[in-house]
Amino acid sequence: MRTRAIGNLLILVATVALSYGMQVSKPHYADLTAPIPVGGAMHDMVRARSFGVRLDKVVFARALKTSQFGRTKLLTTSGLWAVVTTSLTATSASATVADGTWQGPAGLRYRQTERLGYRQDMPPHAVDPGLERRGLFVFEVPADQIGGATLLVAARQFAPLDAQARISLDASLGDDGQPAEVLPQYDLDAPPGKT
Amino acid sequence: MFETARSRVQTWITAGAGSIAALFVAGLMGAFGALPAHAPPQLPLDVAVDAGRWRIKPIRAYVSHADVHGVPLKPGQKALVLEADLTNRTAQSDKAYFNVFRPEGLAVPEGPPMIALTRDSTLTPELHPGMTERMAYVWPLAGDAKIPAAIGFVVTAEIFKPRDNLYGAPGWFNPYRLGTVTLPVADVGTGS
Repeated sequence: MRTRAIGNLLILVATVALSYGMQVSKPHYADLTAPIPVGGAMHDMVRARSFGVRLDKVVFARALKTSQFGRTKLLTTSGLWAVVTTSLTATSASATVADGTWQGPAGLRYRQTERLGYRQDMPPHAVDPGLERRGLFVFEVPADQIGGATLLVAARQFAPLDAQARISLDASLGDDGQPAEVLPQYDLDAPPGKT
Repeated sequence: MFETARSRVQTWITAGAGSIAALFVAGLMGAFGALPAHAPPQLPLDVAVDAGRWRIKPIRAYVSHADVHGVPLKPGQKALVLEADLTNRTAQSDKAYFNVFRPEGLAVPEGPPMIALTRDSTLTPELHPGMTERMAYVWPLAGDAKIPAAIGFVVTAEIFKPRDNLYGAPGWFNPYRLGTVTLPVADVGTGS
């Protein structure tokens, strides 16, 4: 009788321990439905499910010059503007690439700016298979979030279980951790390669 | 005789225990409910205050009679404007700042106010982690609305849950009244 009680108690303890272990080791819902990362480096074509993206250039500037409704606007920021030039293409059918995020070294996520309004070369980018096109992603980031940053590109902002390109940036930094070259002003309307 | 009385008392207590407990709890709840509610504290104006996912620092409040920070007003309207520095305390870009401030004792329209970035009059842009920006909250008012010399703005904050109860995902929930900031209201005439 005594051994039976002890045995029951042991089974109970084991069950509780097993259940608790299963509960704490259960993956989070957000992790289960997270985008599927596709890693890559700068200047390589990173192939996600529906699109391919190649990071060509990152330019830092203190102000952005753009024309909106025929008027020139100078956009300032409390950090730095990061203008990321990419080449985009679709995999097998026409697609859109709408979401760009700048992930800092500690994981802070800076979404693409909403201050520019609609522009032809800004997201959402319409891409077609076999045709490479230039696409810009523009971010506002503090200067200390530039070293060790990653560019995340996805077709949509909320895209559970869809591919997300993750391109590690190697911006050249000065001794103070700030980017080596910061333009006082970047003209978004200047022809590419001439800013 | 004695035996039956004892068992009767026992029966009464056993049968009535639940009712007694219920009456007791209800009485306690009524008593605590009748206590005067804690007034939300006055928040300081000279230091930034953490309010859920935002760090806030109100700068000034004024009444404008013309378009202000790119927010259009209808003819005959004026606007109550609150300028505040907002810093995103979370790890990602966010724009859930619509309900952070609300003026007390004024008939402002239902729904969120118009909010503009004072830097370049962009309406409701996302604010990025750790980057402080000055935002202007604009509530349109009737042209003949009476404005007191100082207005209290209710500050609403939310709490962070590492796992919510439905999906187990992190998020900000349960808005509560953090306190009140009271600012003098200047009338800036037609300019802005």
